[in-house]
Amino acid sequence: MKTLRSVRGVSFIAALAMAAGAASAQPAPIKAGQFLDITGGGASAAEAAKLGIDMAVAEINAAGGIAGRKINMISADTQTDPTVALGEAKRLVQQEKVELMFGPVISQVLIAVLPVVNEAKIPQFGATGSEAITPQAAPYYFSVLINAESQAKAMIDQAGKVLNAKSGAIISDSGAQAKSFVEAMKREMEARGIKLTGVQEYQYRATDMTPQLLTLKRGNPDTLFLFASSGEDAGNVLKARDDLGWDPKVTGNYTVATFADAVIRVAGKEALHDTTGLNYTAFTYCDANLLPKPFGEFVTRAKAFDAGKAGRLSLPFAAALYDGVFVLKEGIEGSGKTDGPSVAAWIEANGAKHTGILGPLGATPASHFLVGPTALSAVYPDRILPGGLQQRFGCK
Amino acid sequence: MNDLLIIVVHGIGVGAIFALVGMSFNVVFNASGILNFAQGNMLVLGALFAFLLLPTQPDLLRWFILLPAVAIGLALLLAVQGYVTLLPLRSSVEQHSWLITTLAASVIIGAILLIYQGSAQQSVRSPFTAIRFMGVRIPATYALTTGLALFWFIALHIFHTRVLTGLAISALSQDLDAARAAGLRVRRLQVTAFAISGLIVGSAGFVAAPVMAIANDSGITYVMNGFVAAVVGGLGANLGALVGGVLVGMLSLYAAYEYGGEFQNLVSLALLVVVLMVRPQGLFGRQAARRV
Repeated sequence: MKTLRSVRGVSFIAALAMAAGAASAQPAPIKAGQFLDITGGGASAAEAAKLGIDMAVAEINAAGGIAGRKINMISADTQTDPTVALGEAKRLVQQEKVELMFGPVISQVLIAVLPVVNEAKIPQFGATGSEAITPQAAPYYFSVLINAESQAKAMIDQAGKVLNAKSGAIISDSGAQAKSFVEAMKREMEARGIKLTGVQEYQYRATDMTPQLLTLKRGNPDTLFLFASSGEDAGNVLKARDDLGWDPKVTGNYTVATFADAVIRVAGKEALHDTTGLNYTAFTYCDANLLPKPFGEFVTRAKAFDAGKAGRLSLPFAAALYDGVFVLKEGIEGSGKTDGPSVAAWIEANGAKHTGILGPLGATPASHFLVGPTALSAVYPDRILPGGLQQRFGCK
Repeated sequence: MNDLLIIVVHGIGVGAIFALVGMSFNVVFNASGILNFAQGNMLVLGALFAFLLLPTQPDLLRWFILLPAVAIGLALLLAVQGYVTLLPLRSSVEQHSWLITTLAASVIIGAILLIYQGSAQQSVRSPFTAIRFMGVRIPATYALTTGLALFWFIALHIFHTRVLTGLAISALSQDLDAARAAGLRVRRLQVTAFAISGLIVGSAGFVAAPVMAIANDSGITYVMNGFVAAVVGGLGANLGALVGGVLVGMLSLYAAYEYGGEFQNLVSLALLVVVLMVRPQGLFGRQAARRV
């Protein structure tokens, strides 16, 4: 009897030891901070960003994680407030000790937290467009958003090569990104020999752009370059153009295309005549029977993941953030490390090899914007398929 | 020349909205000495009701039915705000906690809008056809806001000079203590003034909705320009608010046309500074004796 008890005891201890061994063989999860602007001004974009990030993390974890380590997500809400964001970044980095960060989607929020994430050398990606976020200012951060300079180059290509415009006027909002855009446009127009006939700006949420357009009309430009940060603002510009009976071709930016529903709500579909916008080529089509496969598959997966959100959020934006998570995954697995310098160096050298939804990406030591002008196409803003695909300019 | 005429017409239309906010400032100020800084967001609320209640297809009958309904709704809301603002005050002219109370009301409305619709901006299509003027289309809303500003100016004039309650409210602006000693129910009259200001901003928001940005943070633009209109015209003088509003509207649009959009907001504040330096009582304000 006593012998039997001893055998049972030894077996129990052995089982415990085996279980402990198995547990220790399981790599520790990677702590990742989901650093998004869930409330406040960036909320609508952040909600779509969250959908893309959540989908990517779920798929990566289901496939075994990053280099065998599951992602343990810790959420933080910046409230689109740089002061709150700084506190949240300190919590993630110093208390939670995250190794990666996903987000934010607002430039000024990122700029506020850079000292914290730079010091901790955290690899990070988000969707910010400010030119102030250079690799010098944010060495371990990458953006999946198109920056102002890339948009300027793509818009000049459209106006010069496609529309044969010899002159152009610029109208933009008064934000920091718009000012970067205007400077980039002036450089590009001079380089391409397109005459600049006037520059005007408006305040965010202005509803009457008539004075600005009357001024620009005096220069009689072939095309009007429109850089807006919200669909409503773009709609008000196009509505004022229509009311004035002025019909220069409008070469619009990314907002004109991706927030076309808001443009139409404000100005009506008729105000979009002779207007193009810009979009990631990956989210465009020419023939409705030949749709881009990666984005189509993403839409199907998004609907299966969360049908409610997939039905109302911007899926192209969600897809961009989804791709961003995979770029970081490849950076960690490629470099074999999770520290910022190693991951950033790998992405700078190998980011172009990424094959995701967005198509060819690229980062260099001089720019951490993953999407360049070659990945953009001019589109008809009002020709949208369910899911958000837009028809490229020139396609029937 | 054509361009300038177009700017003038748009300026009058935009300025009429500022004039309406200015007049609603005056109604409350005359009765209580309070400047209600929640007026901008109250105007946005009026516009939000237009967004929520008007159908996407033009429906003039519903528009005419809803206009007084929204104005009355805002009047009730302003009456509640006025009651809460006045409640802790022994004298509305000697204590200044209303400054915090009215700003707090504005912040609360902005926060509710943010929670309700996020940072998105809503827009309303006008049920009225645009007006042709010198070969361009002018939004019919500008004609309506101009008409509404004139309507409220005349209505307030009649109310303050021919209606007993209006005369009593006018008496409050002369001397609160004397009015109280004469047996006037001061607090009730002051709450009534808040309600009348609600009628003005409620109707203004509803009518101006197609040319407004309906968002949680757009109230500041309207309250700032309405305040400038009231001060430039002379606090308490409705004719001043009417002229001041139109002046602010025309000057800001002209500045955008001639010097660039970046000067649009600057010019109204510059106008305020100049008028305060040259004529502190405003264009139509009366100089008042002050007890020292």
